[in-house]
Amino acid sequence: MMIQQSLLEELLGVAMSTGGDFAEIYAEHTRNNSVQFLDRRIDRITDTVLSGVGIRIFCGERTVYASTSDLTREGLLACARSAAAAMGEGSAPLAIRLSSVAHADAHPVRIDPNAAPMKLRTDILKSACFASQECSELITQVQGTLLGVDHEILVANSEGLLVQDRHVRTRIVVNAVASKDGENQSGGCAPGRGMGLELFDLYDPAEVGRHAAEMALVNLRAEYCKAGQMTVAIENGFGGVIFHEACGHSLEATQVGVGMSEMCGKLGQKIANEKITAIDDGTIPGAWGSVNIDDEGTPTQRNVLIEKGILKSYMVDRLGSRRLGLPMTGNSRRQGYTYEPTSRMTNTFIDNGPDRNEDIIASIEYGLYAKEMGGGSVNPLTGAFNFSVREGYMIRNGKICEPVRGASLIGTGSQILQDIDMVGQNLATGQGMCGSASGNVPTDVGQPLIRVKKITVGGR
Amino acid sequence: MKFDAVKDRLIAEAEQAGIAEYEVYFMESTGVNAETLKDEISSFSSGVGGGVCFRCIVDGHMGSASTELLTEEEMRALVRRAVDHARYIESDEKAILFAGSERYATPSVPVASSADAAELKALALSLQRKVYAASPYVADGTQTAAFAEEIRMELLNSHGLRLSGQGTVKGVYVQAVVQKDGESSDAFDFTLESEGAALDALPVSTVAEALSKLDAKEIESGKYDVIISGKEMRSLLSAFSSVFSAKNAQMGLSLLKGKEGEPIAAEGVTLVDDPMREGCPMQTAFDGEGVATYRKNVIENGVLKTLLYDLATADKAGVATTANGQRLSYAEPVSIRPYSFYLAAGMIGEEELKQRLGNGLYITEFKGLHAGCNAVTGDFSIESAGYVVRNGKCCEAVKSFTVAGNFFDLLREVEALSECVKFGIPSGFTCFGSPDVLLRNMSIAGK
Repeated sequence: MMIQQSLLEELLGVAMSTGGDFAEIYAEHTRNNSVQFLDRRIDRITDTVLSGVGIRIFCGERTVYASTSDLTREGLLACARSAAAAMGEGSAPLAIRLSSVAHADAHPVRIDPNAAPMKLRTDILKSACFASQECSELITQVQGTLLGVDHEILVANSEGLLVQDRHVRTRIVVNAVASKDGENQSGGCAPGRGMGLELFDLYDPAEVGRHAAEMALVNLRAEYCKAGQMTVAIENGFGGVIFHEACGHSLEATQVGVGMSEMCGKLGQKIANEKITAIDDGTIPGAWGSVNIDDEGTPTQRNVLIEKGILKSYMVDRLGSRRLGLPMTGNSRRQGYTYEPTSRMTNTFIDNGPDRNEDIIASIEYGLYAKEMGGGSVNPLTGAFNFSVREGYMIRNGKICEPVRGASLIGTGSQILQDIDMVGQNLATGQGMCGSASGNVPTDVGQPLIRVKKITVGGR
Repeated sequence: MKFDAVKDRLIAEAEQAGIAEYEVYFMESTGVNAETLKDEISSFSSGVGGGVCFRCIVDGHMGSASTELLTEEEMRALVRRAVDHARYIESDEKAILFAGSERYATPSVPVASSADAAELKALALSLQRKVYAASPYVADGTQTAAFAEEIRMELLNSHGLRLSGQGTVKGVYVQAVVQKDGESSDAFDFTLESEGAALDALPVSTVAEALSKLDAKEIESGKYDVIISGKEMRSLLSAFSSVFSAKNAQMGLSLLKGKEGEPIAAEGVTLVDDPMREGCPMQTAFDGEGVATYRKNVIENGVLKTLLYDLATADKAGVATTANGQRLSYAEPVSIRPYSFYLAAGMIGEEELKQRLGNGLYITEFKGLHAGCNAVTGDFSIESAGYVVRNGKCCEAVKSFTVAGNFFDLLREVEALSECVKFGIPSGFTCFGSPDVLLRNMSIAGK
C-alpha cells in the first residue's frame, strides 16, 4: 500500500474536522514511458514517475481540494489541514475506520510495457515506422511513439471505503508525412488498449505504419473539400467521436448538475432518432477506456445512455449524484492526483443499428464519406460541436469517388441526434485522449457506419 | 527529501556511476483556485507539486528520466534509468550540456507575493455578484474564479552552471451564462489584473458579449472579407506555432524548411518572440538548457529572419541557439517553444479597421483548433462565430460556420492589423498575442 492505513485514517479524521460531511483521499503512483522514433531513428525516450495525493472534502455541494507530491507524514498532514482550513472552522479530528475492499481484475496484463526489455519495445516501434516509410518514396518523414502507462491508485473515504487498483495501458502512434511539389500531407494511426505489449497480438505494428502512410498518400492526391451543407456518411471506429462530442459531454453530470447542458431535464424524453442506442461501458475487458473502479472507488458499469432514441441515463460522479439526486454510475475520472475528479466518459459508442452498410452509401446521391475522423470539441451549454475529417471522399450517385481533404463537420448535438437517420452494422471503436476539466483521460469512441442526412461541411 | 538533498544525492550517484556530463533540473509549483457557483464559493483547490529530471550524456547520446518521488532509492533508480535510455538513442543530433552564457538579464516584473486564500475567495465572490448584477438574464451555471500559480526552477550541471528562476501568474476569469426566451449562450473572458479598470470592466463586458450572441443567425456559404479578432488570431498563432520550430523544419514537418531570409508574410507582418515582455507576469532569463534568453523578430516586415532553435538544432544548422529550448515542467523533455509570441501592432484603430473592411464578418470565436488545424500542411477548417459588419459597423451576431484556409497563405494575405495587441494567459513562459487582422476572400461554410 502506498500509504499506511492508520495514516489514511488520521488524514481523513483531520479532513473531516471542520464541518465537512464527506472526505476522500486519492493516492497515485504512475510510471509513464514513451519511446519516440523520428527521421529513421530512435530519437528520444521519456520516462516519468508521478507520485502524489489529492484530498477532497464535501460540505453539501461545496468542495475543497488540496494536492501534494510530498508523501511524508508531515507533508500529507499539511495537505489535509490546508483542505480542512479551506472548508471551515476547526474542531477535533473525527475517528474514521477504513475497511479494505477487494475487487476482481477484469483487465489482467500479460506483458508489462514498462518492464519489458527496451530492445523489444524499440523493435516494435521500428517495425511500424520502417513499414510506413517503405510504403512509398513520397513518404518523407515518419514519427512514432510507443507509450506504456502503469497507473496505480488508492482511494479511501470517510464512509470507510479503502480500495486499490492498477491500470496498465499501451498505445502505438504512427504519423506519416507525404510530400510532393513543396506540399505536405499527413496521415496517422494510433491503436491502444488497456493491456500490455500483448496489444501487438491484436495489431501488427507494420500494418499500423502502413495505414498511416496510406492515409498521407491519399491526402496528397486529394483536392480541397467543397464547403456547404450535405449528407455525410461517417465510418466506424474513431468516427464515433461524433457522438462523444455532439452528445457525450452534454450527458456528463458535471455539466448537467449545474445547468450547463442542453440535455438538462430530458431524462425519459426522445432526444434522438429511434435507430440510435448509445452506451458508455467502462467494464469491457482490456478496452482503452476501461478501469475496474473509477477515481472515486466506484466499480465501473455498463450504462445505456440512449435506448432507441430515448434518454435513459446521465454519467454521474459523486458530486453530480448530490446535485442531481441520481445514483453514481462509475464515471468519475481524472488525469492524476493534481486534478479534482469530474464525470467523464469511458468507452462510449453508438450500438449497431438496422441498416446495411452498402445501403447507406448507395442512398447518398451527393455527399461526403468521412472514412477517418480527427478530434473535435463541444460547448455543452449550446451543444455546438466541431470535428475534423482526416480522410474523406466525395459520394456521387451512391458510389464512393475521389478523395477530398481539409474538411471539418460542425453542428449542434440535439439536431444531429435527430439527423442520424441510418445506422449500420459494423460497430468498431477508436482510441482517443479526452481533455476536460479533470485533465486528459483515455476514452474509446465507437460506432458502426452512420448516415447524417444534413450537416455543415467546412471546406473551401 | 528537499531539493538540496536531492541534488547532492543525484550528483553522488552520477559520480559513482562514472558519468562525466550530467544535468539536474528541478521544478516545483504551487497553485490556488477559488471558484464560484450561484452565490457561494463552490470549489476551492490548492496544490503543491514538484519533481526532478536527470539528464546525462553516455557515448555521445543524451539519456533522461524524471520523477516526483523524491526518495534516496528513487534517486539511484533515476540515474540508472537515464543511463539505460541513453544506450538506445540513435539520434544524430549532438548531445550538448551548456556551460553558461556570459550574462543573464533580470526579469522586470517584481516577485509577486504568495496567494492569500481569503483574498482569492473574496475576489471571486465579488466578481460573481457583479456578473449577476450586470443583467437580469444572467443564469445559474455562471461561474467566476480567482487563481494564482507560481513556479520555481533550478538547473545545475557538471560544467558548473547553476541557475534559478521563478514566475507567478494571478488572475480572474468569468464564464457568463445568459438565458432569454428559452435560448442560452455564454461568454468567457479573463484578466491578469487583480484591481483597476480591466477588472472593473470584466463582468459587464463578458455578460454583454454573451447577450450579444443570443439569437445569432446562420449565414450562407461563400467567400467573405473578414477581420479575425486579436483573441482568436492569437489562438490560431498558438495552433501553428510549431511551424517556427527548427526541429520541425529540419525534419520536414514544417513548410518553413529552408525559408530563413525569404519573404513569407505580407510586408506589414512582424512576429516577435520576447521572453521579457513588459507587462508579462511570466518572464525568464534562461531557457530549459540554461542559455540566456533574448527578444527577437522571427518575422520582420514579412521576412522570416530566424526559426526558433535549441542547442541541438542550432548545432545541426551551424547557427547560435535562439534560447528556445524550453521545459514545460520537470517531466517534459526540452522542446522548442516560443515565449511571448505575438504579431506586432499595426497602425490603425479597431473601428477604423472595420471601416476598411466595409462589409464582411468580424470573427470573435474559434472552436476546436486542436482538431481543425494541421501544422504539417498549414491547412485549417475551424468552427467559428462572430458578427456581420456592414458599412464598417458591427451588426447582428452569426454562428455555426467554418472558416477554412492555409496558415502560410494567411500570413501572405494579411491586409492590415489593428493597433492593440491582446495577450492570452501564459502557459509556463509561453504566451500568445495578436491585434485584430484584416483578410480578404476567406472560405466560409454556413447553411
